[in-house]
Amino acid sequence: MNKLSDFMAKALFTITMSIEFLQNQQLLLIFVSGIFTALAASFLGAFIVVKRMALVGDVLSHVALPGIGLALLINIDPIYGAAAFLLVAAFGTWFIEKKTALPPDAIIGTFFTATLALGVLLVPNQELFESMFGNLFAIGFYDAIVIVITSIIIFVLTLILSRRLTLSIAAPDLAKSIGAKPDNSYLGFLLLFALSVALGIKLIGSILMGALTILPAVSARNLSWSLKSFLSFSVILGVLMTGLGIIIASAFNFPPGPSVILSGILFFIISLFFKKS
Amino acid sequence: MPHLDKEQYKNQEHGAAPILNVRDLSVSFNNQEVLKDVSFSVNEGDVLAIIGPNGAGKTVLFRALMNLISYNGEIKWREDARIGYVPQKLFEKAELPLTVKEFFILKSKNLFFKDKQLVESIFHELKSVGLKPEILNQQLINLSRGQFQRVLIAWAILRHPNVLLFDEPTAGIDIAGEGSVYNLLHKLQDERGMTVLIISHDLNIVYRYADKVLCLNKEGLCFGEPKKALTSEQIERLYGESAFYHHHVH
Repeated sequence: MNKLSDFMAKALFTITMSIEFLQNQQLLLIFVSGIFTALAASFLGAFIVVKRMALVGDVLSHVALPGIGLALLINIDPIYGAAAFLLVAAFGTWFIEKKTALPPDAIIGTFFTATLALGVLLVPNQELFESMFGNLFAIGFYDAIVIVITSIIIFVLTLILSRRLTLSIAAPDLAKSIGAKPDNSYLGFLLLFALSVALGIKLIGSILMGALTILPAVSARNLSWSLKSFLSFSVILGVLMTGLGIIIASAFNFPPGPSVILSGILFFIISLFFKKS
Repeated sequence: MPHLDKEQYKNQEHGAAPILNVRDLSVSFNNQEVLKDVSFSVNEGDVLAIIGPNGAGKTVLFRALMNLISYNGEIKWREDARIGYVPQKLFEKAELPLTVKEFFILKSKNLFFKDKQLVESIFHELKSVGLKPEILNQQLINLSRGQFQRVLIAWAILRHPNVLLFDEPTAGIDIAGEGSVYNLLHKLQDERGMTVLIISHDLNIVYRYADKVLCLNKEGLCFGEPKKALTSEQIERLYGESAFYHHHVH
């Protein structure tokens, strides 16, 4: 465990040093939005991974595309179009799963192909690339405020939901036997997740937002010995990989999505060495 | 068993009214009948053993009793009945890194803040199922089967329910371990006056511990005191030719 905390301290140090270079206000906005997006996404991601719906999360994030296209067509902020489509898709998935007993990945797969087709038709090429892979400089002051506040709300709601959600994942019948409603926790969880994906679209992009939710959690699972440590590591790693990724992206003028994900992969590889078999 | 409505329940002494009354209970999934016209009743403090071959609908019966699935017919719990449930197994999801302590805390009505009362009673319940407090920091997936079952029982009796639904694992617990789990259930029944409904696979246990037995094979085939209800013809009818496997004598 000492090795790990040493490593964490070093990583933190690197990041704080780097923040000092963020003189530029634009970069600060990006940095702060990135950190808060990661906070919400990686916390939710922990549940996505243990619920074995990692691919569901990945695919759900693409549902945002036609929303972005429509928003651009009627000239509103794409983030709202994305959020609307994602929330509807999340609710749709929950509803169809409940009614038909089809597995969620099959349902979302259906949504996905439909929405990707729509998305490609609706979203202009340049915006399509940006909404898939993110664009550092698209974040304005107002965007940053929306991202920070919504992320905090998502984080707190997930925290409140987490005991019920965990019990529903571990043992749905036990959850019901104490009067909890696993169905409702699951719906709440899906909606929160949809919202967090929408938040990440401008910065990270829809394609890689799924990875931002999963990567911290899979690395955290390798390091953890309890639910608490698992959730904490997931959030810490999510924030670290996003911070590091954004710094690299701005230094080398990369799109932020790929560099955030690649720094996440780096943490994942490191986490493999801590895994007790 | 005469039909009792709510008014009559109120007028009656608690000890006199059965804690559970089931009449003509039927459950079907996709038009397939899983349970058909099952009727029985349970008095407070009794141990009811439910026996039957695989696929007889025993666990389905429990799920209906807890109102987890839709059913036809009537299930009437006495108003003060509080159910604790011990499932046959928990999850197959080893990716959930829950410690025993965290597992208990999930039962808290408090969604976020520390539940001091609950944490204190965890220690108490652990002791009553014969586990040491050190187990709290272990991960659920690292427990032995026996330990795990005790944890499930402790979880079920946390916050003092007066009815315990116990779904016995089909296999895997050795006879010695099994014996001690039944001793434990017996102790709980004695000390707390709990009513116990147990799905059992071992007829010896039924003869030794149960006040009543319900034989189930989609329909209720027999109901009553084990020694009277469980005749060898009845057992053969219930299990078919494999009956002698179940009816081993110690």
